[in-house]
Amino acid sequence: MLHIIFTLYGVLFLGKTMVIAKKEMGSLLQEKTLVLAIIVQLLIASFSSLLVIGLASFFDPSALDKYGGQRANVGIVGEGELKRFIEKSQVRPYYYHDIDSALYDFNRNKIDAVLVMPPQDSGSSEIIQIIIYLPRSDIKGTFVTLQLKKPLEEYEAFVRDVRNPRIGFEPVRLYVESSHRKTSTYFEFIYGILIPLLVFTPVFISGGLIIDMFTEEFERKTMELLLVSPVSFSEILDGKMLTAVVIVPVQVFLWLALVRLNGVAVYNTWIILLLISIIAVIVVLIGALVAVKYKDRTISQYMYSLILILLFLVGYLFADSPFNIVTRLSSGAAGIETLVYSSAFAIVALPLYVYIRRLQIS
Amino acid sequence: MMGILTISKWEFRRTRLSFSKKTLFLSAFLLILIGAVSFSVSQTGLHMNDKIYKVVVTDPALVPIIQTDDKFEVYFAQEDEARRLFEQGGLDLLIIKTKIIHTSSESSISALDALDKAILRYDEARLLSYNDLNNTFPVWITVKNIARQQVFQSPSVQKLPEIEAVSEKTAASTPVIGKTITPEPGEIAQIPSIREVTEIKKGSRSPIKEQALATPSHFDPPIPFKSVVLSFIFIFPIYFIAQFFSSSIMEERVKRKGELLLVSPVKPYQIVIGKFLPYLLITLALVAVIAVNIGGSIWIVLMLLPVALIFLSTAFMGAIIARSFKELTFVLIFLSVFLSGYIFLPAMFANIHAISIISPITLVVKLLENEPVSISEYLFSTTPFYLVSILIFMFGIFIYREEDLFTQKPVGSKLLDSVQEFINRVPMPVFFLSITLLPLVFSLQLMLIVLLFNVPIRIGIVVFILIAAFIEEVVKSAGIYTVFSRKIYPVTTGNALKFGILSGAGFFAGEKVLLLLVIASIAGSVFGSVMGIGLLIYPLLLHVTSTTAASLSLKGTGNYLFSVIFATVIHAAYNLYLVWGVVFG
Repeated sequence: MLHIIFTLYGVLFLGKTMVIAKKEMGSLLQEKTLVLAIIVQLLIASFSSLLVIGLASFFDPSALDKYGGQRANVGIVGEGELKRFIEKSQVRPYYYHDIDSALYDFNRNKIDAVLVMPPQDSGSSEIIQIIIYLPRSDIKGTFVTLQLKKPLEEYEAFVRDVRNPRIGFEPVRLYVESSHRKTSTYFEFIYGILIPLLVFTPVFISGGLIIDMFTEEFERKTMELLLVSPVSFSEILDGKMLTAVVIVPVQVFLWLALVRLNGVAVYNTWIILLLISIIAVIVVLIGALVAVKYKDRTISQYMYSLILILLFLVGYLFADSPFNIVTRLSSGAAGIETLVYSSAFAIVALPLYVYIRRLQIS
Repeated sequence: MMGILTISKWEFRRTRLSFSKKTLFLSAFLLILIGAVSFSVSQTGLHMNDKIYKVVVTDPALVPIIQTDDKFEVYFAQEDEARRLFEQGGLDLLIIKTKIIHTSSESSISALDALDKAILRYDEARLLSYNDLNNTFPVWITVKNIARQQVFQSPSVQKLPEIEAVSEKTAASTPVIGKTITPEPGEIAQIPSIREVTEIKKGSRSPIKEQALATPSHFDPPIPFKSVVLSFIFIFPIYFIAQFFSSSIMEERVKRKGELLLVSPVKPYQIVIGKFLPYLLITLALVAVIAVNIGGSIWIVLMLLPVALIFLSTAFMGAIIARSFKELTFVLIFLSVFLSGYIFLPAMFANIHAISIISPITLVVKLLENEPVSISEYLFSTTPFYLVSILIFMFGIFIYREEDLFTQKPVGSKLLDSVQEFINRVPMPVFFLSITLLPLVFSLQLMLIVLLFNVPIRIGIVVFILIAAFIEEVVKSAGIYTVFSRKIYPVTTGNALKFGILSGAGFFAGEKVLLLLVIASIAGSVFGSVMGIGLLIYPLLLHVTSTTAASLSLKGTGNYLFSVIFATVIHAAYNLYLVWGVVFG
């Protein structure tokens, strides 16, 4: 234990480690790699928000507001109980006697969907079959789907009210006095995906970075030069790791600030920064370990990617994984009590660190 | 040809040798672990947003019901205590008996919606357990999708609401692509109308097996989510092999092993193709293996060939221009994120929007869903990929030589080197450079359309015009900048005029050829007319004028960025003027 405290002290205050750290930081800045890293993260953020917001609007009735109340034209064939639900809804119905004339208008783009009324009714015991014709690969089909969903659901509820008593089913009923309803998609996306993504990408990048720092020294054969100089291997290790780890909380802080500028409340910033620094130490240690073991960039990066994918997936297996903790912290659902997890992760990092320092470099 | 094959053999042996048995064993072990974990993730569901909402209830019967959704942390308390807790803050919802009380905070309002969904799922799960569909899920919907001609309405955007306007026009952009217009009865697609519902089985308490429901609450737009996730598996071999390829090239540069080959009689292009072939073949083999294993058609390999090419070519270029491993890593991460976005974003909209066809992954998704892919669709989505990869390889090979491989030149200077090589080798270089770079411009602009798809159309079009013009001006003046900065020709006003006209005319000519080849379908849409299609003489004048302006300004100021922005302003102003009436009425 004493050894570790001494080392930590050394990391922070000893000159030679800082020399290595300065050298690595200098080359990072000179090559403008960090700028590229920021652009990468920006791309990831914009792609994922584009995807989720885009998709959400296809599942979300409130997306219809964007259409400014425009109503979908739907051809209705036949008569039935469903009719009054459709007439109440947003769609504009056109009535046809037979399917052929309806499809004729459909193909001439007069209407965007054809709904065939079911012959069964709610009182019977048969399943009620509704047939809907939609245009293939056409945004209008999506538009109609969204508008038809509500009356169909209401109709289903109506039929269920008639039929459920037959089997003695009582639905869970909760009441709320609220006029403004909003989908939970955006909230869950921002805290469940976007913020963890922004917080963890710098960590993953730093892990790859440390591999490059080491393998480059090995492949250019400069490691041998460094080792015969007065700098020891552990100092080289500390210096490189310091650089790779320190840039993580800096980037995360900037990201969270940016998110906040966009009007999203982010809670517990400092706890997140602490947690992410500890995770960064673990991931950077893994990267360093892989690089020192294999010395070859191709294989090291490959192995590191595999380990990363594994860790990433494992992270989604548990409710208390770092991703979920960041989600809860940033949304304000959790607070200071998560320091328990931070310390648990720190305990994971220690043996790794001790192990890698004992490695002998030939 | 012999030279290429020999180099391929060497390269193949080298990559194989660098993997020791132990490494192979370890990587196989990791892959198996990844497989096992992803299987259990698919079984238990992703733990995402767990315990993000906090709810306090007074009815103990509600506790297990709400707990079926992992997003909720549920507390139970007597009414007074519950109210007190709720007023303290930190809780999202208070449920007194069956009445929900919420606050105005974001988390409280979305908890309301999440609770709705959780209860719906819970009820459906209970209903399913009755095993009596007629009384529990009485309403079923059968969807029949019919291909029909999508209309292009003249854009009276004033009346059309925002999103609709974009979609209609872009929808019109790729109207039929090889499909007959009038559907005969037999042509009505047998799309599986019943969609699988996997979410239902969330929550271990509910006694439900995976079941297929086609009831109104599952009547949603046909997002091919499963197929897209499935197609994502293919990207792994492509990505990893591209990594290996770039590492091999970079290693040669770092260790200076390649020097000997360069002085041998083998030509640079033979070395590059020889090195690249084994990687391409391995990628395609892996893709084929995966395709067979997940039960997809073997045609998937053909769909992914251009994707593999573009990943390999960009990895090659990255390895040539990077100065260090770190730089290479960042360049590669950047490229793979960008390319993945380009190919996967449109695929999500495969069944929803015709524009999705710009990505080859959409074709893979179609194949996975047992839908046909026509030749014209294939050409439309893959031609840009083929052309751009060839282009990147070509410019990379230009600088595959001692002075660029083994020196620490900055990235920009290496790119200039490759353009300079082009100028040295090709007659009328400035004219043809503009043409050659066109596929790149075209791909970037398509990407831009996808990115701006969700932005309100008016802002989207203005941003598109600005960025598109910028890209075009950069490309058109790249040759002129090289000529002047490398002093290939004297920097005179005469030369500035001459090269400006040549480059602008070249771009115009190339654009028209490309138009004939692929993008006839985009013309006529608003985006299309911005891409410079439509009238003939004005675009020619425009390209020539803006490039000449850039050229002259370059001669005067020597500042490349300034000159390009200057040209962009002229270019964008003209385009804005063109579509102003259409968009802003």
